[in-house]
Amino acid sequence: MKPLLECQGLTKKYNNFYALSNLDLTLERGQIVGLLGPNGSGKTTLIKLINGLLIPTDGRVMINSLAPGVETKKLVSYLPERGYLNDHMRVDEILSYFVDFYDNFSIERANAMLKDLEIDTHARLRTLSKGTKEKVQLVLVMSRDAELYILDEPIGGVDPAARDYILHTILTNYNENATILLSTHLITDIENVLDRVIFLQNGQLTLNATVDEIRSKWGKSVDALFREVFKC
Amino acid sequence: MLGKLVKYDLKYGMRIFIVLHAILVTACILGRILFMNQLDFNLKLEAYLSPLILFFSLFLLLFTGIGFGINILLVARFYKNLYTDEGYLTWTLPATATQQLWAKIISGIIWEFSSVLISAASLLILVSGDNVTEAYAQVAADVTKSLGMPITQFGISLLIYSLFGTLGSIVMLYLCVAIGQLFPGHRILCAIVTYFILSAIIQVLSFSLMFAFNIGPGTTAYLASRGMPATHYMVTSFRLGGVMSAIIMIAAYFGVQYIMNKKLNLS
Amino acid sequence: MPWDLDNDRPIYLQLMERIQQDIIAGTYKPGDKLPSVRDLALDAAVNPNTMQKALSELERSGLVYSQRTSGRFITEDKKMLKNMKLELASEHIHQFLEKMELLGFESGETLELIQKALKEDK
Repeated sequence: MKPLLECQGLTKKYNNFYALSNLDLTLERGQIVGLLGPNGSGKTTLIKLINGLLIPTDGRVMINSLAPGVETKKLVSYLPERGYLNDHMRVDEILSYFVDFYDNFSIERANAMLKDLEIDTHARLRTLSKGTKEKVQLVLVMSRDAELYILDEPIGGVDPAARDYILHTILTNYNENATILLSTHLITDIENVLDRVIFLQNGQLTLNATVDEIRSKWGKSVDALFREVFKC
Repeated sequence: MLGKLVKYDLKYGMRIFIVLHAILVTACILGRILFMNQLDFNLKLEAYLSPLILFFSLFLLLFTGIGFGINILLVARFYKNLYTDEGYLTWTLPATATQQLWAKIISGIIWEFSSVLISAASLLILVSGDNVTEAYAQVAADVTKSLGMPITQFGISLLIYSLFGTLGSIVMLYLCVAIGQLFPGHRILCAIVTYFILSAIIQVLSFSLMFAFNIGPGTTAYLASRGMPATHYMVTSFRLGGVMSAIIMIAAYFGVQYIMNKKLNLS
Repeated sequence: MPWDLDNDRPIYLQLMERIQQDIIAGTYKPGDKLPSVRDLALDAAVNPNTMQKALSELERSGLVYSQRTSGRFITEDKKMLKNMKLELASEHIHQFLEKMELLGFESGETLELIQKALKEDK
């Protein structure tokens, strides 16, 4: 089977600054992958390139052997690290928006999750707290039957209880045809749910290994290794 | 896909659109009842000329304001939906950049056309009172002669020209926003600057064209047309304006399309 | 309730130990069907592939066997279960003895301490 994600010599340059330089990376299906790195290491640049929100300076990125475009956008479900919903819309309006645009969106799943989280679907988004808005976005993104889920800092701004729910949601929705790529700096919280971690530093790949490989080889957690590698 | 995109574009501006035009229509109905219907054209000209001029200046301001408001609405939707945080959702929908652009153009045309038509209807409300039509009937022959056509035909030509003109301005407004977003950090400022620069370029171009076609002020054609009905000159420059507008529209379209396809750069 | 896992040892090893523990403690009886990989992973709040690996390892050791369509079961081999119990016991004892050695006790002294502790417990 073809790899789900393939980056070859992927480079993004802003003026004289390389946000990402000559990155080679392949991801297979059925994994939960942590994308780790300090601020400015190129995590978000990589994510935007995969989603076609940036045009690479050099090299290429392929999802299911296709360059970012209409077909790949059907396969990729993306949670940006910022709020991307129109604040004036009500939650149920946003749900029908997703139903309209994504064939693989399951409104039943979304409604069930919103109910679990006790979110009122008649509420306008601007009346919700920041954490609740983040939960709404996560629900939308996880309610699609996508092949590649890209979650940029999904657990950054929410309370520990919600964090557990999010991890639970990720695990519940796990299926062997889909891969979840999630970027975060709160490694301890998610270490146990990851198959594999990718370390980025200065726009380059410095490590790509499974969590258990890291623990066997270095005898320490990914979190501890991360702190050591990226010591200030 | 295109239909769905247009649907949400229209949904976004619907409330503002309705409010703006409700104000316009109400103002015109009130203007008709409270001012126009009270006019007595049998009096001497001096008796009602100054209030009439003042009244129409105010309404000119109102009509221009509504037109400006619609332009702002278009620009705001284009900018917010594509180039702010909302762009993260818009650009990850399974649609091509060209579909996104056409959705904005089609929704823009629907808004602009509806606005022009409602404005024209409002103007009719304002001037269709019996006292006005009766007074006009007395001078109709003279006006027809000096216009070179009946006033209704003149009005309809003007309407068609305005509709056509909005097409060019929609795409040009989008081009300005798209160029503005090439300058991260100063997106809005650069969009405004682009607008002024492009407007200036178009002014210079159309002026040179007018001279090239021998119809600019002071040219022989201009002087020759002085004895002719006023519309003759207008029609000629409208035709030229139409051609210009079409060229601008096409050039601007390819400009925006290129930027949207190749230069997407969300911050 | 997520399982309590250490940070420095491979996760699949800890999952194996935990399941072995559960078998010995009687949470799962010989011949019992194990929950699915997905449910176990959710319960432990770990990656399903890691849980899968832990179960495959347990299968390799013979403690668990799988029936192609109906899932994974605990072995009914009493002897094997007993051996595993003894193995784990010996592991714990060795660890304990090592620690006592570090504290400077010799075997005889350690034995005395154990006997004393046992008496107190009664």
